[in-house]
Amino acid sequence: MSGFARMLTRINARLSLIALLAAGLGLIAMTAIVAWTVFGRYILNATPTWGEPTSLFLMLWFILLGGSVGVRELDHMGFDVGLHYLRGPAKTALIIANEVLVTLFACAMVWYGTELAAKVWSDRLPMIGISKGWDYVPIIAGGSLIALFSIEKLLLFITGEDLAPMPLNANGLGGEA
Amino acid sequence: MAITILFTSFAALLLMGVPVAFCLGLSSMATVLYIGIPPVVIFQQMSTGMNAFAMLAIPFFIYSGDLMIRGGIADRLIQFASSLVGHLRGGLGQVNVITCTLFGGISGSAVADASAVGGIMIPQMVKRGYAPDYAVNVTANAAIIALLIPPSHNMIIYSLAAGGTISIADLFTAGVIPGALLCLALMVAAWAVAVNRGYPADIFPGFLTVARLFIAATPGLLLIGIIFGGVRSGIFTATESSCIAVIYALLITIFVYRGLDLKGFTHATLGAVRTTAMVLLIIGAASSFGWLMAFLEVPKATIALMQSISDNPLVILLMINVILLVLGTFMDMAPMIIICTPIFLPVVKAIGVDPVHFGVILILNAGIGLNTPPVGSVQFVACAIGKVSISESMKTIWPFYGASVAVLLLITYVPAFSLWLPGVFR
Repeated sequence: MSGFARMLTRINARLSLIALLAAGLGLIAMTAIVAWTVFGRYILNATPTWGEPTSLFLMLWFILLGGSVGVRELDHMGFDVGLHYLRGPAKTALIIANEVLVTLFACAMVWYGTELAAKVWSDRLPMIGISKGWDYVPIIAGGSLIALFSIEKLLLFITGEDLAPMPLNANGLGGEA
Repeated sequence: MAITILFTSFAALLLMGVPVAFCLGLSSMATVLYIGIPPVVIFQQMSTGMNAFAMLAIPFFIYSGDLMIRGGIADRLIQFASSLVGHLRGGLGQVNVITCTLFGGISGSAVADASAVGGIMIPQMVKRGYAPDYAVNVTANAAIIALLIPPSHNMIIYSLAAGGTISIADLFTAGVIPGALLCLALMVAAWAVAVNRGYPADIFPGFLTVARLFIAATPGLLLIGIIFGGVRSGIFTATESSCIAVIYALLITIFVYRGLDLKGFTHATLGAVRTTAMVLLIIGAASSFGWLMAFLEVPKATIALMQSISDNPLVILLMINVILLVLGTFMDMAPMIIICTPIFLPVVKAIGVDPVHFGVILILNAGIGLNTPPVGSVQFVACAIGKVSISESMKTIWPFYGASVAVLLLITYVPAFSLWLPGVFR
């Protein structure tokens, strides 16, 4: 199991970096799109109608990819005082329970996200013309990543292996908490 | 029973240390399963909750603040503030308060304020003979001013939590006077402690120096003007003006301050992703929680409960303040605003409190909570910088708590502090 955990954490380190970079590119793209919308409205006298829905669509990806990275890199806000003071088996049980609960919710995101996407797949999103089902794909993707990251943390905790850091951190890529 | 499940499971998960976003999602799931509604509704609400254009202002504000920090804006603000108030008793403490206020306008985030200003000011203060606990407490408390001085992204979170019906321009404007009051109160507290401990004052450098340093800081300060002016005049929405702020911050830090290289840009971008994505995820998860609260008629029950205790608006407001202060000790800013708004806003509306006024009360309350253990993210940041333990900081934080709570009571019971200025602009 140790070997599997080591492999998973190496893969997840890369996935986490890819998700973070994608969310970063999303932020830059959203900035550009909203700026272009304002420019269009005041300078060109033609508001690009695709601007707002496209930036909203990107924001969904931004939230779910960035939020998933936060699960792995421990950016999430939580009340960790109890965990800090507990010792022994109670602490072990609590850490395992936390990861299992987050994994369960992540699996529910994938399951119900798929159900929602399937239901509206034949409808179109106004202005940008893609399937309405795409609105739920970020939830499915985010849920999958969160599940992978939580399972990784659970396995690492059980086997005592270390979390592999995001590969480019040393070069200055990768934010700080 | 369903309400009990919703809240007890949320509290239990929170105490277990589950991240807030998942506490909200999991407790909603548990409740929905209990009532027998298909769980898919949770994820539909979550998706809807993450689909508001106004939400985009949050990453943009943080991003522009991050860029400004990388570009070295904090140094310039500190130099300007030093020339302005450095000659007062406890000079560097006063400089700290003024810098946090100005910087708050640029970053809109108390944590960013504490780490950017504190990172420079606390070591400097200690080097000049100020006690570390004083330096830490001044920084941590002054950082809260950022939440009230426009543009504050927490005002946007509040507006979203209230269903997007409250004008962001009014909220921004409403924060100005309370922010200035808090700044003044903390300066008085910093002065009183400085006199007590015999801290020195610097020499006034002359108006010419003040003017020169003001000009150096102006490009940064203009950012506040652009956002506030754009939103207030209605030329831009909050999202658009925050986006322009990002572009402006980029131009200023690259071409005027010349402090931003590619590495700094990458850091700022990815840093903004990591700070904001989780806040937005919490907002998304909270919309299913909020939807359930509305479905279970929680606000109605809260009104009934509060009115059964007292029908005096002053007492109800005091009760709400106490509840919020207690909640604030173990909850972070964003989740607290998102969860408390749908519960308490209907209550205060029923006793005739303006939603804009309540927003200011709620935000200052949650802000004070950022400086109270067990969960006090701003206090933790400041303590970490000053290498002071939380308990050491707690021993001497009281004058500053006193100042903050006095301002809180003042703005709670004198609505004009919050409502006069928006009225002038309207």
